[in-house]
This record gives sequence, structure tokens and C-alpha cells, in this order.
Amino acid sequence: MRLFPVAVVAFLPAMWGATETVEFNRDIRPIFSDKCFACHGPDAGNRKTKMRLDQESGAKIALSGGRNTLVSGDPEHSEIFRRITSESKTLRMPPAYLGREKLTDPEIDLVRRWIAQGATWQKHWSLIPPVRPAVPDIKAREWPRNPIDNFVASKLEREGLVPAAEAGKATLLRRVTLDLTGLPPSPADVDAFLNDNSANVYEKAVDRLLASPEHAERMAFRWMEAARYADTNGYQSDGNRDMWRWRDWVIDAYRRNMPFNQFTIEQLAGDLLPNPTLDQRIATAFNRNHRTSAEGGIVPEEFRVEYVADRTETTSNVWLGLTLGCARCHDHKYDPLLQKDFYRMFAFFNNVPEKGLVYNWGNEEPYIKAPTPAQQQTLKKWDDKIAASESRWNALAPKVSKDQLKWEKKMAKSRAADWTLTDGLVFRQAGVGEKITGCGEKGVEKPGEHCSLPTADAPIGAARAFDGKQFIEAGPDIANFEYLDPFTFAAWVKPDSAKGAILSHSEEYFEGTGHGLYVIDGKLRLHIVFRWTDIGLRVETAAPLKLHEWQHVLVTYDGKRKASGVTMYVDGKPREMKILFDDLNWPMKSKVPFRIGAGGGLRFSGEIGDVRVYNFALSPEQAAIIPLRQSIHEIAAIPFSDRTPAQLDKLRLAFLAKASPKNVRAAQQELAGLREGREGYYKTIPTVMVMVESEKPRDAFILRRGAYDNHGEKVVAGVPGVLPPMKPEWPNNRLGLARWLVDRGNPLTARVTINRFWQMYFGTGLVKTVEDFGSQGEWPGHQDLLDWLAVEFMDSGWDVRALQKKIVMSATYRQSSRTTPDLLQRDPENRLLARGPRLRLGPEMVRDQALAVSGLLVEKVGGPSVKPYQPAGLWQELAGGKGYEPDKGEGLYRRSIYSFWKRTSPPPFMVNFDSPNRETCTVRETRTDTPLQALDLMNDESFLEAARRLGERVIKDGGASPEARIDYAYRLMLARAPKASEKQIMLQALDSFDARYKADPKSATEFLSYGSSARDANLNTADLAAYTAVASLLLNLDETVTKQ
Amino acid sequence: MKLSIDPLDEHCSLLTRRHFFGRNARGLGIAALAGLLNKDLAASETPAKISHGALPGLPHFAPKAKRVIYLFQSGGPSQMELFDYKPRLVEFQGKDLPESIRMGQRLTGMSASQSSFPVVPSKFAFDRHGSSGAWVSELLPYTAKISDQLTFIKSMHTDAINHDPAVTFLQTGAQIAGRPSMGAWVSYGIGSETEDLPNFVVMISPGSGTGGQPLYDRLWGSGFLPSRYQGVKFRSVGDPVLFLSNPKGFTSDDRRRYLDTLGQLNQIELDDVADPEISTRIAQYEMAYRMQTSVPELTDLSKEPQSVLDLYGPDVKKPGTFAANCLLARRLAERGTRFIQLYHRDWDHHGKLPQDLPKRCRETDQAAAALVTDLKQRGMLDDTLVIWGGEFGRTVYCQGRLTETEYGRDHHPRCFTVWLAGGGVKPGVTMGETDDYGYNVTKDPVDVHDLQATILHCLGIDHTRLTYKFQGRHFRLTDVAGNVVKPLLT
Repeated sequence: MRLFPVAVVAFLPAMWGATETVEFNRDIRPIFSDKCFACHGPDAGNRKTKMRLDQESGAKIALSGGRNTLVSGDPEHSEIFRRITSESKTLRMPPAYLGREKLTDPEIDLVRRWIAQGATWQKHWSLIPPVRPAVPDIKAREWPRNPIDNFVASKLEREGLVPAAEAGKATLLRRVTLDLTGLPPSPADVDAFLNDNSANVYEKAVDRLLASPEHAERMAFRWMEAARYADTNGYQSDGNRDMWRWRDWVIDAYRRNMPFNQFTIEQLAGDLLPNPTLDQRIATAFNRNHRTSAEGGIVPEEFRVEYVADRTETTSNVWLGLTLGCARCHDHKYDPLLQKDFYRMFAFFNNVPEKGLVYNWGNEEPYIKAPTPAQQQTLKKWDDKIAASESRWNALAPKVSKDQLKWEKKMAKSRAADWTLTDGLVFRQAGVGEKITGCGEKGVEKPGEHCSLPTADAPIGAARAFDGKQFIEAGPDIANFEYLDPFTFAAWVKPDSAKGAILSHSEEYFEGTGHGLYVIDGKLRLHIVFRWTDIGLRVETAAPLKLHEWQHVLVTYDGKRKASGVTMYVDGKPREMKILFDDLNWPMKSKVPFRIGAGGGLRFSGEIGDVRVYNFALSPEQAAIIPLRQSIHEIAAIPFSDRTPAQLDKLRLAFLAKASPKNVRAAQQELAGLREGREGYYKTIPTVMVMVESEKPRDAFILRRGAYDNHGEKVVAGVPGVLPPMKPEWPNNRLGLARWLVDRGNPLTARVTINRFWQMYFGTGLVKTVEDFGSQGEWPGHQDLLDWLAVEFMDSGWDVRALQKKIVMSATYRQSSRTTPDLLQRDPENRLLARGPRLRLGPEMVRDQALAVSGLLVEKVGGPSVKPYQPAGLWQELAGGKGYEPDKGEGLYRRSIYSFWKRTSPPPFMVNFDSPNRETCTVRETRTDTPLQALDLMNDESFLEAARRLGERVIKDGGASPEARIDYAYRLMLARAPKASEKQIMLQALDSFDARYKADPKSATEFLSYGSSARDANLNTADLAAYTAVASLLLNLDETVTKQ
Repeated sequence: MKLSIDPLDEHCSLLTRRHFFGRNARGLGIAALAGLLNKDLAASETPAKISHGALPGLPHFAPKAKRVIYLFQSGGPSQMELFDYKPRLVEFQGKDLPESIRMGQRLTGMSASQSSFPVVPSKFAFDRHGSSGAWVSELLPYTAKISDQLTFIKSMHTDAINHDPAVTFLQTGAQIAGRPSMGAWVSYGIGSETEDLPNFVVMISPGSGTGGQPLYDRLWGSGFLPSRYQGVKFRSVGDPVLFLSNPKGFTSDDRRRYLDTLGQLNQIELDDVADPEISTRIAQYEMAYRMQTSVPELTDLSKEPQSVLDLYGPDVKKPGTFAANCLLARRLAERGTRFIQLYHRDWDHHGKLPQDLPKRCRETDQAAAALVTDLKQRGMLDDTLVIWGGEFGRTVYCQGRLTETEYGRDHHPRCFTVWLAGGGVKPGVTMGETDDYGYNVTKDPVDVHDLQATILHCLGIDHTRLTYKFQGRHFRLTDVAGNVVKPLLT
């Protein structure tokens, strides 16, 4: 039972007078939906009888015994009415055994009158495309500034209310500046505005604000919440990702006032547009912003399905205002959405070539390099330099050949040592880097002594014979490669057994952690393993090695954690490979020794020679020359035409390494240096995860009970059946879906979108349930206004900025937010709009405003996320590790849109002030008021520093007298002068803090110690401390954190 | 304390706390406030609330417990080594887990592709304890001693097989993020018994090893409930509550003067624009001021007698340990905090279980038992429900390398053990049974929603009737499932 009667509230159906016509959509559907649909609604699986109240045909049926569910005009003979009014526990609906309450008397009365008036049905209002309603004629003809006001006034007149007077000029400027830019107006803005008496002064201000980059940031922030943008993955270990290039894209789109239809198409399907630009591909990151899991041991398909479902739910929610997610496990209980509809939408988003188990240390595929415009310029400079260097190098070619020929002649006669590739060679058996720490059956039994294993004759270099028990052990630092380090392993092998370990840096059992080169089933095998069962990389040659014969084996890995980055060579030739496992995504941290002839619990039988380890991936040319048995002298003696390509390469590389003239070497080094430089620079270029369509679409199925592995009927992509179909000329993919969403015939997108915009200004949408335009959503009290704005929006070519302007130019928006007890009584939530909005600022605005008024704000648009102050230890106490390290310098003072967002531990200030958590799509604004917010604004380092800087600013710029300074402080903070009473109170506070800090300078110094920005040493400490206290008071005023 | 802007809630608290509001009530009569502050009631998204923030009609019936202390052991403690004694495993040692037991059930990606699933018995000995004869292993000697106070559920099972979804499921009733946590539901449903402390408090202690699996703020989040119901994390480093302390050089007297000034200024604004939100803000600042006193008083253990400190063990003096958090939990319980959620991390023993599990036990055993004993000594155990348990159990088969001294166990959702004590549950009872392998539940299965329904039941809440309408649906903690485990109840 309610404690208070509800007669004062605007849109409750019960308000309408007894004589008014009962309207199904407005009055009856909400009751049926909330109380009856669960068992008598769209969900066939849960329907208890034939009767369903969501359709007229299903509701008006004959029952046994000559009774009827509904008899138009005759409540008393309608079974439905009999049931809802029954006092019998077994008969009464909704049933007590389900824990449901009886309908209220006003609800029963409405149903009675509706039946009496004929029990007519209506299609759900939001599914009927909006048509432009006539602008209503009103009595207060002088009030409207645009048609919005006619709709609002028309309703007010029916309610017997009058609009409030226009807000004061300064109040209005602060309101509209905060609303359009998220920042307060500067005193200069205020002065200019107050001194300008032209008729269009307000419009000029609005145009200026709409054109500012701060407006684009303000709009982007809300969109990021809907798009569940974050800088981390969100599940479990919650690793970092890089999606800020998408944020840049959004800001830029708003800055350019991209029409909303294009904004939609590019984000949902930019990659499918003909010849998509880099920007259009970046836009599609919208649907890669969902959470992802890197938790070891998950069933990848379970999570991949979750990602697709998130895209489906987010897209439906943001554009259609439908809770399609409710149809994931069963047909929707309230709206005419089938489970099949969910999975047909799902199918649009199901074709991304992605993994369920993602990378924990950066972006997961598919992603693209997304250079900023400045970076694109720099890259071009690198490429130009490389091209110039290449042409210089090519110009030298004839001379190089001539010189080399001369050198070859000399070499053919020489008996000097052979040349081999030594760049990056970190270990060579019986050569470079060989530090044997032991050998034998236990490896370390003879530390420090020379290895006693029998020597053998390898084609090149030193070799040993292994008996299947003994091995050679070197230090743990040798070949201790991490999973992102490139490397090359090479050796001559003569295996006597089809199973053995050639070399390894791996734990001593087959499934252990580490890497190694093996012979398994006769084939050459590379293991790079974190955890055998799910994290690692394993590849082998398709063909076996030959037993009892010398062969050269060489394996390169490019350090990019994919099997595609591995090449296996036998006798210098790349061999066909079989990928056994390809999911390497975790550091190995292996602390075992490097061993030859042992690894993974295996030993080697046979001979191994010339083991080499390089710390980079050799090129195919380099790989081919390692096993060459001929020395450069022998090759030089071979006639040119008889030399093999590998022999030619070896000579060329040897010549360039050993004997080329200075200018050749310089040109060569220059080119190599430039290429390396470009590569290094390229690595710094951000990537962004994007949508990509697999060549072969994945099959999509209805998932029974929503379970990832419980496939039901196969489905093809499509839109919900209750909505207009897609046009045949559109492709049946995401691009077609996007076009359908912004098609004129779509009844929802424009309404849902303008409703979200409306919420930004008035705190509540015209439909309060901004996330739900279905049966359970609120019926709009101003449907005519909603429809008019929706049609206007579409007719304008989806002009986002024009729509914002329309709203803030209206007289409705410009009303004073002052209220009276009577009006509050009548309309506490201001749903009738008889006054202007008065709302606590969003969290990002509370902080940004403090930065702005204190002069700390660094206004720089775009770029990577930054880390402002945060109490130490918050990340560690959840997850250990290094924790959060605040930025130094400007990163502390950027707007909150750029603050690093860790999903499992979001910025505490933002959470305290009701920010959505960015785990899933959130479109509803909420506001609470808690003591934690008070503590935050009073004691958080960010606000203590802002207070100190505001205090300094007031002392320096506010004039000489305390009175003048308080005036200035109020104008900075609130865009107005203080009232006399306020000034009096502030001056008293100032006096009292001044006295206190003069008496206790140590406290004053301490109080001023917050924040990393420098303190003005010229200011008196006690003085500044007193003004800092006053500035903190200002930052904590209700009016400060409120737009009014 | 109420973290609240809920108008009616606020209104009622104003009525009871005129002492600091009275002087500010000039602009708008209390009666007027009463009328206008009920705005959300009409939208009927949420039922109206009465004093202390309880929903009307709640509790649904007389509660046995007034509060909950949940000792969550994060990572999945092994029931095989702690509670679920399986003598026949010695016979099966090293043999592959038979398919007749595994029955094709899914395994995690960490062990699914193991070439074999060798059964490994507990390295640690079990014995029966107390007059109830409960089986408890040698790793938990203190728990063993109080086993007559405890109710063991050996037949817990869950749907999730990995940490994130499993912990999220236990704490919010759904594996996917977005739902309110249990503590938030309880706060929302039955409100608060304290005005000076948060009603839902979270405390975290890391294991002494690697620290353990991460936790996530969502585990104590309010989901779609208003954010005032989210858990407040009490921290051992820095301020116990974020931003609680005044800055250096700014005393409590300074703050009092500051707040008096702020109140006067806000009152001027209230008189001008008549927005009741301003009264709310004034009240919230006063509550913040009271918290600045009540929280330090709470965390100051200097007046605890040595005998009590000794009960909890030597760690109790180290802030941030499980022992210290257990003692704080008791102090919070005494002061009326409704839901106290502890997390101890690092129970995820995929490998090196024989070395690491005893460490976790040493870190938690004495203090958990001490908490129950301490509550009982104070007569508070009767109306405090204590729960001990993790998010799932561990497999009977070995994960990774099995040697004479070393083994590990993977996540096992099919069965695990939790214990409960105090308000509303029968002491000295063991419920549920598992098969000879400790793999499947064979008797009296209890799933996660059942446990949640039972906890709510002890608090006097019918879990099917504590709902919140969001996105058109009436959500509840137990989703569409859950049955109260009646045999456990007193």
C-alpha cells in the first residue's frame, strides 16, 4: 500500500477524470503488461492458456460454459473482469500463489471503464512510425519561441498551469554553457553576455557554444557511456586495451556535426561501406567496446557468444530502445519479440573473426593500426626518407657488384676463416656464448668441468653424441625468451630415435612451461608453452625428419604470438607445417636452464651439432645460408652461373659484412637504420579493435535457454518481425541493418535518440524509461512533442546540432527553475515542464568545472587516456600488481572524458557521483546524494588542489579587498555576484579561517600542500590558506554542483 | 547511515533528526516536504520506503538474523582437503577418473585437454569433531573446535566454472555483470540499523602468496539499484573509507565551522529556489561529518581486551589481514551494519596445493572460528548469520603434474562445501552428500540461488518478493529460481 495518495503526479493513468475516454495504450497496456503479460503475453513458452492479452484476437475468446473472456461494453460478463475483482484466492488474477498483489482499485476501475467503453485495442504506440503532429494552438500565444513550447504550453493549459518566467540572464548562460559544453562560462563570457543587449544575444551564445570543441567532448561523453567504452577488458584480470582512437572519432564526428544517420552507419558498419576510409573503420570500434575475458580456463565459445549478445543488446537498446536481451533465453515476456528475433539480430554481429579468450595485455584481433592525422604525416616522412635512401642504395648497386667481383677473386684464393652470420647470435655450440654449466645424466653433476659427452662429426662446427640419457646444460639466462621475443633456433641433427629433445628452455615434463625444439613422431616440433592445455603455441613439420642422417633444422619465431609467425626449415628450405595449437597470450616466466639434448622430460638419441640461438627471426635468405657446407672461399671458386641462390646470398652477405667500401656500408647502414627507425615508430602507433566480417559467415542458431552450446533452429540474420522489414536493395548484413535503423520507416530510432537528447537537458526523457520503449516502458506524457521532434530530426537530415539548438532555444528550456511548494506538490519531477531544469551536474562536469574555475584545466582535444589523482592502493587491493600510477603534469588536469577507465575498479570520484560503470550499455541518467560525495568534494586531493588554485586566483585577480575578492570568486564559480547575506557569511568565514591560520602557520602550510602544481610563493601562507578554505566552500555549494 | 537521496527515505530521516535540520527548515515546512518528497512513489518503479530505509512490508516475516557476515574465500577452496572426507580415494589414487563419474561434464580450458585425469586423495588427515561428529581436516583445527556451532552444506553446486562468472554469480545471482550484489539487495530491502556507518561494508585481505585472483568492484556494486546501496569498501591503507579524513592542517573544529558556513549558504539558496534536493544535500554533509567520527571509533581496536585479541590470533593487529577484518566485522555488527562482506583471496590452487593451501588455512582458520566464538560470547550469534565459502570447489583429479609431494586441482562447480553459523540456521548439522570421488552431489543438492534464498529467508525476506523493476522486468536476487533450504533452518 502506498503511504501517500498519488493524485499529484503527472502521468499516472489514474489521474484522468472518470469521464475521459480510456485509451488502451495509455491506460490499459501498462496494467496488462506489468501484471498479466508474463503468463498471458508474447512468450508462448510461458503462456498458461490460449488467452493472451497482448493481442485483441487472443484476448477475446470464448470459454467453456458459454463464458467469454471479454465482452465489449459489458464488464460484468467479462471473465477477465470477474477474475481481477474476485475475492477468491484460487480465482483471483494476478494469482496470489505467484506472490502477485491484487490490482489496485484505480486500475480495476480503468479496466472496467475500458471494457464498458468497448474494449478497443491499439498497436503499441512506439511501433507506429511517428507522423508530424499539428502544432497545437494555445492561449499564451506570446510565450512560445518555437513549436516545442506550443506542445508544452498546450499541456500546461489543460492542467491549469502556467510556465515560469524566463531565468535570469546570467543563470541562463551558466545553464546553457554547462549543458552544451560541460564547463562553466568564464567571467568574460558572462560580462560580454550581460552587456550585449541585442535581441539575439542568447542565440549568438548558443551558436558559439555549439561550435566549440568542448561541445563535441560533452556530447561524446554521454555516447561513451552508452557504448560501454573503457580502457580495460573488464573481466577478471581486466587487462588494458586501446580504444581511444574511437573516442577521438566520436569527438570529431560531433565536432563536424555528422548527421546521426551517417554516425549510425559508420559505427555499425563502416567497414562494409565501399572502400572504407581509416576513419570509417575506426568508427566500428563501437561494437568492440564490450567487455572481454582473458581468464585462463574459460570455455572460449561461451564468451564469444557473450560478446555477440552484448553487441546485439547494446545496438537494440541504443537505437531501438528495446530490451531485446529479454528474448535471449525465451520469447519476450512483455513485448512482441520472439527468441528467434534475438538470434536473427545476433546473426548480424556473429561473423567477426574473433576469439572468446582474449589477449590480456592489449588489443585482441581483429584490430587495425589507427595512426592519428599527425602520426600519418610522420609515417609519410619516414616512408619518403626510406624511399630516398633506397634509391641511393640502388644507385650504388653496379659499383657494389663490381667491388664484390674483385673481392670474390681474392677470396677464391684465400684460406682465411669462413664467414657466418654472427649478428644477434647469442649462443653457438662450442662457440659464442657457450657457458656449459654441466653435462651428463643430471646435467649439473660436473659443474664447471668440460663436457665429457663424446664428440661427433657434424657437417659444420662442433657436435656431440647423445645416448638418450645425457645432456648438456647451460645457464638459465641463455635463450630465456619471453613470449613476445623473436628468436631463431638452429642445429645439425642426426636422430636415432623418432622422439627426443634437441634443445629447450623448459620445465622437465612434457607439458611443462617453456620453449623447446623436439623430434616428436619423427617430425620437427616447436613448443612455446605457458600452460599446456590452453595457452601456448605448438607447430610441427608435416613431413618427418630422416633417422640416422645429418639434417639441418632451423626454426624462426617473430615474437608476435601467432603460429603464422613461425617458419620451420630443414636443410635451408622452409617446410610445410602443421599447427597443433595456436593460443599464446601469456608470459612464461621460466627459470630453468637452457639444455641441449633434453627438454620436456625427453632426451636425445643421436648426434647434435652446431646449435645456434639468434635473438631475432632470421629471414629466409639468412636461414638458407646457415646450413651451407661450403665456405665463402669454396663458393667464390665456383663459377658464377653454377652457384645456388643460397650460395649467392652467402657471398653477398659476407661481402657486405666484411669487405664492402665505406660509402656502401654507410648507405647500407643508413637504409637499415631508417627501416628500423620506421619500425620502431610504427610500433608506437595505436591500434583499435574494429568490426570485420569473416569471409565465411558463422552459422547462427537459436540458443535454447540462451546456453552457448545448446543449438536450436538455425537462423539467418534479420530484424524483429514486429518492425518494418529491411528493403530488398539493402545487403543482409550490418550495413543493411544500419540503413534500416535510420530509415524513415523505422518507428523507433529517431524517437529513442531525441528522447536521450532531451534527458541531457531536463534530466528525464519525455519517455522516462529511455532504455525501454516497450510495453513496460513509460507511456510518454508528451507524445505529440516526442513525435514532432523525431520527425523534425529526420526531416532535418538527422542534424544533431540543430536539434540541440532547437531544445535550448525553446522558452520551455529557458524557464526559471525556481519553484514553489504548490508546484512541487503538483509536479515534483517537473514532468509537465512548468519550470526550468534544476539538476545536480554529472560527475564529469563536477570535476571539470573545478578544474576550469581554478585555472588548472588543460584543454586539449583527443588522445590517449590520462590518469588523474586517485587514492593509492585501490587497484592493488583488488588484484595486486603495480597498481595505479597517477600522471605527472597535464594528465592530471585534462577533462574527465579522458580519464583512464578501469572497469573492475573505476575512478572512485566518478562512481561516487553516479557514473555508469561501463560494464554494459547504460543510457539512463541517475542522480543520488550521499555523504560519500560530500567527503569526496571536501577531501579529495583533486578538489583540495583546485581550492588552493582557486584561492590563489581570487587573491591575485580579484582585487585588493576581501569584498572584491568574494565578488570575483562568486562570478568565477557561479556566474553571478553574491547576495549581501552570502557575502556577509563568506567574509565571516574568511576572517575566522584567516585568524586561525595566522595563529597556526604550520597548519596553513600543511593545508596548502595538496596537489602537484606549484604554489605561488609570493602569497602569504595564512592568507592563501584562508582563501583556500573559502574556495573549498564554494566548490561544495549546492548551487555549484547544480545546473539551475 | 543512509546513503540516500531517496525523497521519502530522506523525509523520514529528517523527521527523526530535526536536531540538525530544524534550524534550516524555514523555507519549506516539514509537512510540505512530506508531500513533495514522495515523487518517486508514484512512478511505482519501486515501492515506498519507511524509516531506516526498509521497504514497506519488509521484513516479510519475523527475521531470525538481523545481519550477515559473509567470509568469502575467493579462488575456490578445496573441499577435498578441508571438509569433504573421501576415504576411498586412496584406492583410486593415480587412476583415471572414471567416465561413469565425470559423465561428460565440461571442464575448464585448463584441464579439459589433459591426457589423463588421475585421482589424487587429500594429503591431509581428517577427523570427526564435536558431538555432531563433523568431518574437518587437520588444516582447520580452530574451525574443527567450533564445529558444533556450524552448519555444513557439502552439496553446494554452481553453474559457473571460472572465477569471474562464478564469484559474480554467488554475489549477484547472475554470471554476467549488471545485477545488484547480495548486500545491495539486503540494504535496499530491509534498510539500516545505523545512521553513522555504511550499511554494507566490504573488506578485502590478500593471501600471503601471490595475492590471488583479482576481485572486481561490481561484486559489491548496486547494479541497477540506486548507487546508494552499493557496498562501501573499508580499506586498510590510507583512509578506511575513501576521502574520510580532513586534509592536514584542517581539524575537526575547522570542519564544523566550515559545515556551519556551508549549511547557511545552502539554506539561503533553499529559501530562494525551494528545491528539496538542497535540504538533502545539507543533510548528507552532516552525515559525512558524523562518519568522520564514527569510522575512526570503529577501527580503533585499542579498547579491545587482550583476551579478545588473543582469540583472533596474532594477525589481528596487522591492518588488512583476515583476522583484523574479522574483528572489524564484529565491531561493525555491533554498531548495526547490515551486511558485512569479507574477501580473503588466493585459494586458487591449480598447482602446489600441498604447499599453498595450508597457508590460506593458517591465515583464516583461527579468526573465522574466533568471530563465531566472539559473537556467541556476546549473545550476538543468535541474530547474526555468518557464512564461510568460496565460488566453487576443486576437482578430485590432479591438474598439471602429479608427483609424490605435489599436485594441483582445477575448478570444480559440481560440488563444494560452505558452512553457516548463527541466526536462523541449525548448529551441528551437516547437509548433503557427494559420491565416493567427491565429484557429484548424491543427496540434497543446494545451488547458488538456494543459498541466496536461504540467506534472505534468515533475514526475514521472501526472495520471490524482493524485486526491483528495471528495463521493464521485475528483477530479483535469485532470478527465477531458488528454494529456501528448509531443513537447515531453526
